[in-house]
This record gives sequence, C-alpha cells and structure tokens, in this order.
Amino acid sequence: MSENIKQNYLNHPKGLMSWLLTLDHKRIGLMYLVSGILFFFLGGLLALVMRMELAAPGNDFISNDTYNNVYTLHGAIMIFLFIIPAIPGALGNILLPLMVGAKDVAFPRLNLASFYIYSFGALFAMYTIINGGVDTGWTFYTPYSTQSTSNVVPMTLGIFIIGFSSILTGLNFIATVHKMRIPGLTWYKLPLFVWALYGTSLVQITATPVLAITMVLLMLERFLGIGIFDPALGGDPVLYQHFFWFYSHPAVYIMILPAFGIISEIIPVHSRKKIWGYKFIAYSTLSIAFIGFLVWGHHMFTSGQSVFSQIVFSFITYFVGIPTGVKIFSWILTMYKGQVSFTPPMLYALSFLFLFTIGGLTGIFLGAVALDIHLHDTYFVVAHFHYVMQGGTIVAFLGGLHHWWPKSFGVMYNQTIAKICAFGVFLGFNGTFFPQFLLGLRGMPRRYATYSEEFVELHSYSTFWSGILGISIFIAIMNLFWSFIKKNKVDPGSNPWGGMTLEWTHTSSPPHPHNFEEEPVLEHGPYDYDKVIVEKTYK
Amino acid sequence: MSNHNPDAPKHLKHYFANVDQQYETSKFAMWAFILTEVLTFAGLFVAYIVFRSWYPDMFVDAHKLLDVNKGLMNTIVLITSSLTMALAIWAIQKNNRKLSLIMLIATFVFAFCFLGIKFLEYSHKFEVGQLPGEYYSYMGPEVVHLNNPHIFFSIYFIMTGLHGLHVAIGMGLIAWLIYATYKGNLSSEYYTPMEMIGIFWHLVDLIWIYLFPLFYLIG
Amino acid sequence: MSEHHITPLRTYLIIAASLLFLSGVTVWVSYIDLGPLNIVVAMLVATIKASLVAFFFMHLLWDDKKNLTMFLMSLMFFGIFVTITLLDTEFRGDLDLNPEVKDPINKRAVFYDTLPLTDTHGHPVDEHSDNHHEDKDHH
Repeated sequence: MSENIKQNYLNHPKGLMSWLLTLDHKRIGLMYLVSGILFFFLGGLLALVMRMELAAPGNDFISNDTYNNVYTLHGAIMIFLFIIPAIPGALGNILLPLMVGAKDVAFPRLNLASFYIYSFGALFAMYTIINGGVDTGWTFYTPYSTQSTSNVVPMTLGIFIIGFSSILTGLNFIATVHKMRIPGLTWYKLPLFVWALYGTSLVQITATPVLAITMVLLMLERFLGIGIFDPALGGDPVLYQHFFWFYSHPAVYIMILPAFGIISEIIPVHSRKKIWGYKFIAYSTLSIAFIGFLVWGHHMFTSGQSVFSQIVFSFITYFVGIPTGVKIFSWILTMYKGQVSFTPPMLYALSFLFLFTIGGLTGIFLGAVALDIHLHDTYFVVAHFHYVMQGGTIVAFLGGLHHWWPKSFGVMYNQTIAKICAFGVFLGFNGTFFPQFLLGLRGMPRRYATYSEEFVELHSYSTFWSGILGISIFIAIMNLFWSFIKKNKVDPGSNPWGGMTLEWTHTSSPPHPHNFEEEPVLEHGPYDYDKVIVEKTYK
Repeated sequence: MSNHNPDAPKHLKHYFANVDQQYETSKFAMWAFILTEVLTFAGLFVAYIVFRSWYPDMFVDAHKLLDVNKGLMNTIVLITSSLTMALAIWAIQKNNRKLSLIMLIATFVFAFCFLGIKFLEYSHKFEVGQLPGEYYSYMGPEVVHLNNPHIFFSIYFIMTGLHGLHVAIGMGLIAWLIYATYKGNLSSEYYTPMEMIGIFWHLVDLIWIYLFPLFYLIG
Repeated sequence: MSEHHITPLRTYLIIAASLLFLSGVTVWVSYIDLGPLNIVVAMLVATIKASLVAFFFMHLLWDDKKNLTMFLMSLMFFGIFVTITLLDTEFRGDLDLNPEVKDPINKRAVFYDTLPLTDTHGHPVDEHSDNHHEDKDHH
C-alpha cells in the first residue's frame, strides 16, 4: 500500500509526451490552471497600465488609441481566456471526477481536445496583440466593429474557437455528473461544487453556440456586408446586442456559478458545520442558471430597444436577486455557531461574501431602468462588475486554489504569507474599486483615457490601491507555486482542513493516477459534520 | 488501466463500469450536443424571423427567385437518406452487417445527391448575381422594386450553407462508418458510433424540414 | 447490448412514407392562399414531420427520458431567444415619440442606387428609365 501511495498522477507516467497527450483529467486541469494564470497575469498587467494612465488627467502615459486597445484586450483576455475557462477548466477538471468517485470524466479525449482548442483560440488572441490590438471593447458592438480597421477578425475568430472548447468541457461535465457517479451518490449527496459545475455546464452548452453564430455573423458582416447588423445595409445594430448578450449575460453566470460552488465547499469545511439549506443552494444554482437567460436586455437600456422590453427586462432582472440572496443567507447561517477557523481559504471566502454582496446589490440598482440610464457606461458599472467578477469570481478562485492546493498537488504553501496576501487582496480591491462607484455616480464615463480635474482625487486613490491589489495577487499566486519549488510536501494521507467529500476522504494527496485505488464506497454525505468526526488523515 | 478487467469487451473504456453505462453516456452526451446544434441554428432562425417581420413583402417576393422543384427534390433525397440511415442501424442491430453496409452506402450517395442539387442551385444564383450582402447584383424586373433583397439572400445562403456544411461533415462521418462496418468493428454488440452518427444525420434532416418551407414555400 | 429496443422495419417504412406524403402536402398547401395562416400551416406540417423524425428515427420514443428533456430544453431556449428578441423588435417606438424607429434605419441600402438594372438572367439592360430612380427614393 505504501509503495502504491507514492505513485501519483504527477510523477506517473513520466516524460513530456505523457503530459502533452495525457487523457488524465487532473493533468489537463493543471495545464488549464497554468495557462489560465498566465493570461490572468497578462490581463492584470493591462489593467495596471490603464490605472497608470488614469493616475492623472491628460494623456501622459499612453495615447487614446493605445488606451482603447488596452481596455479591449484587458476585457477580452480576462473574460474569454481566463475567467470562463479557468474555474471549470482547472479546478472543475481536477475535482469533478474525484468528487463523484469516477475514474475520469466521461470523455477524456474530448477533454484533451478541448484544452488544445482553447490553446489554439488563444493563439489568435495573442496574434491580435502582436498585430496591434483591437479597439472595439470586448463586446464588439456593431456598427463600429464592422468598420474598425483594428484586428476584429482574429480576435472574434479566437473567441469563436474558444467557444468550442467551452462547449466540449460543458458536455463532458454534464455527462460525467449524470452518468459517472458511484452507486449511492444520489443528486442530494453531491458536493455543492458539483451542482455548481453542473449548472455552469448547462449554461455553457446552451449559450455558447449562440456566441459562435454571432461571431460568424459579425465576421461575415465584415467580409460580405450581409446587412444583418450593419444599419447602412438595412440591418440593425441593436439586433447584434441581442445576439451578443443572449450569450454574454448567461456567461456572467458561467463565471460566477463555479465561484458559488467553491464558497459552498470552503465555508462548511472551515466552519466544521453542516451546510445550511443544501437544497436551497442546489436549486438556487439551477434557477440562477435559468433566470440568467431571461435578463440580457438590461445591458441595453440605453441602446434604443422598445420601452416594453425594457420594463420586462428590468422586472425579470430583480428575480436574479432572490436565488442569490438565498445563497448568501445560507452561507452566513452555515457559519453561525460553527467553529470558524481563519485559514487562508476561509479568509478568501469571507472577503467573497462581503465583496459579492456589494457587487450583487449594486446590480439591483443597475437593473432599474431609470437609474441605469443615469449610470450606464459610467464607472459605477465598471465598479459593479468588478465587484462581481473580481471580488466574486477571482477571490473565490484564489480561495479554491488555497483550499484544494494540498489536495491537488500534495504540497503546502506558506500559510502566513497566504493570509497576509488575502488581506492585501481585500484592501487593495476595495481601495481600487470603491472610489469608482463614487466616480460613476458623479458622472465619470468609462472607456476614456483622460478626465476632467474634479475626478483627480478619486482616480489617484484607485490607482494607488490597484498597485497593492496587483502585488497581493501576484505574491499570493507565487506563494502557491513556490511550494512546488520548495517541495514542501504534505503527508500523502493528509486532510489538512478535514474535508468530508470523496476527494479528501478516499484518495491520497496528490491523487492516484486512476483517482482511487479501489472504487470508493460512500459512507456519509458531503457535509455531515453533525454525524461524523472527520480524521485529518486518510487510511 | 492497471485495474482493467481482462474479461471486459475491448470497446469498453476502463473508466466505465460496464458497457451499458458507456452506451448510455455516449447517447446522452450526443443529445446534449444536439442541443448545442439546435441553438447554433436558433441564432439564424431568430435573424430570419426578425427580418421577415421587418420586410414581409420583400421576403415573399424574393423567395420566388428560389427553385421550389430543386428544394422539393432535396427534401425527398434527404428524407430517404434518413430512412436508409435508420435502416443501417436496424440492420446492425440484427447483426446483418452486409445490409447495414449497403444502407450506409445508400445514405452516402443520397447525401452526395443533396449536395449536388445544392451546387446546381448555388451556381445558378452565382450566375445571375443573387448573392449575399454587398455582392448582390440581381436587379431583374420582378425584384427591382424590393427593399434590400440582399438580406433575404444573406440569410438564405448562411442558413443553407451552414446546413450544407453539416451535410458535408455527415458525409465524412458516414464514410468512416462504412469503413468501420466493412472492417467488422461494429456489430449488434457494439454499434454506438453508428447510433450517434445516425442521430446527427437525422438532425440534419430535421433542420432541413424547417428550412424548406421557410425559404421555398413562403405563401 | 441485446436488450436495446429494436424498432420494427414496418415502423420505419411507415414513418418515411408519411414524411414524403407530408412534404407533398406542404408544397401543395403553399399554392393555396390562406393569408396569414400560410405560415401557420407550413410550420404545423414541419413540426409534425420533425416530431416523426425525432421520435421514431432518432428513437426518442423509446429512449431514456433525459435525452428527450435535453432536446425539449433546446427548443425552450430557442423559444426564449425568439420571444424576448421580438419583445424589442416588434414594439420599437411603442411610445410613439419617434415612429421612425419602428423600422430598420436604412430600408434601402445605398448600393442599390448604383446597381444597373438586369434581365432575369442577371445581365445588365441598357435603358435606364428615370421612374425607377424616383421609386427608390420613395422607398
């Protein structure tokens, strides 16, 4: 047994080709993780360039045109190359089969193919950068995107290709959750992260095809002038926005649902308490996924759609608040009277609760038509979606990395540094984006490289704290990878946080190449802290 | 693969517990894939519906430039190919490899006919200048009064073109099936690929069932 | 895998015959002017055909109901997409503040003004009558 436990997916089999052609979901997950983080750094660097430019009014750092390119690439890279693929692709791939007790995902070859499709699409995005960028904003609104001389086609082609990778991952996860669970692992015994990935995958397979066809139509509009989106040719640019947001609003839930899943895992484990309202969280995941398809028009309140549809969209938008609120209350009630330990993952989870609540509530403001017409395309919107995307998704992603790092890779990072970084991220984030709410309320529009004098103070605060934020995230991630280099190995049987799901209780850290040495037998539910005392080691 | 049961059939992948689980998983995933296909076309159907409601008269008049006979012929060809595909699966379920092979070849031939007729239609449209978008140049007496007929032809070419692409992909897949059946890799014990490709092929038929009345038979 | 349902040959043949028959019906109906009902009838027939294909050829009738759910889900999301988009495009200008937003911005693209008139074979015809130009401006 001890001989066997030394064999894990990281050291067996060996050789470069065994990595490049691997069908092992854990290795594919690790490849996603590394590429995702590289794009995260790239996107972050672009964000810091923008903040540098905005530290003072005037164009003293970069020109207007460069600024247009920088914010477009920042948005496109962060969304299409990092956030959407990263959590399902990295953490989802590594954990999903372990959590359902399967030997692998349902279609390992498709899984590898989806990683290479993603890389291939990313090449187009990189080509765009080398070739001078693209300046339409990540939304590629027509008619400007059909006229712009920048690299709209390579970028949209890249996004089109990455869409396929997203669809294949979604297909794979749905089939895995439905068909690969071990006997006895019923739907209500699944870890909530699995539920979240399931909801995400459903959104991925339903929404992404529409993005693909939208990108095709946009390219055809440029090549042939098909006249569907181009007003000069009898088309309608607002129709483009309908097409685009039919994907991109649900895509917001592709980004945030896995984060909800991560938080639903971290909080009960680090509070040593059964999750409050398991079914509420599970069903709220599915209802968010569904409602997400009905509200896309709230991105278009100032685009000239009919007043009737504005009212409908505004009304339905409020409904998103219900399942989201249910989740927040469930998490808080889980912590109530629990033994909360302030470990690094828990610190990230707590900042998530705070930041995401602000992000969600300001979203309700923006869902109201009248208020949105004032706040549309101001820094209020910028602050809102960063509170959701970065304060929500990325903070949860960092929390998830810290939570499953010893499990996935069998090494432990320096926890003190990790805690300091968690504080740094929290402070830096609020310092950067809270002033932007105020800027937006006072009328500072987004996507401008310069501004008038009265905004100097708030902008310079924002720039200062963005530096702290950037450094904290960088050190936090370096701290994780440093544990590899230092070979700070944990005991293969260790379960440092006392998790109760299969990946903690039934396999070694890092896991065996085939996940489990023998088929796991389910002994208890995922959060039965009231019934079972978990040991911190396995076997 | 260390814990692979040596008695298991060779088409059973090691990460599945048994052949039934493997078959059901593939089929379920195929249906999830069909969902993505339907939604890909959904975008184009939405464009069709929106533009038809904006340009109702233009759609009616522009559709008269399409050839109903060729459209009907293609409908018949495609329905027949769907039948032969279904029969190929039926034959392999009965373990009749030879009949299955004949049916697959028939399906392939019908698919080829479909693309052939489509090619004749397209080449006629290219000759007279009924082209999508800015390349549109046909100003014959029956359309000269129309508003933006190029939009009709844009949507026509994109939808039938994407559908034609699916037919071409289907032909590739069927060609592979013919090879696999000929080699004896498929039998009544294991015919999952044929079942999957069959579903794909019927989807192609299903979409054409809607495209045909929407483009050729606007009243 | 012998326990899989095998559809009898007769069923396949009957379904294919019905499909061919319905194709004929839909062409025949299209030559009768039913006004706005034309599209309804055409779509009804197409839906019957599509259901026959899905339930019998694609074996949905005998399959695990999960597969049917997936298929119906795709139709549901398609329905959502169409309905909500039409809530905008069909109700543009609903306050009657500026009625011109009801239609696409450019009802006749500029490039038509430079296109030569053609005969039914797409060949340009020489005589340029000025009436047509007036017509175009009018639209």
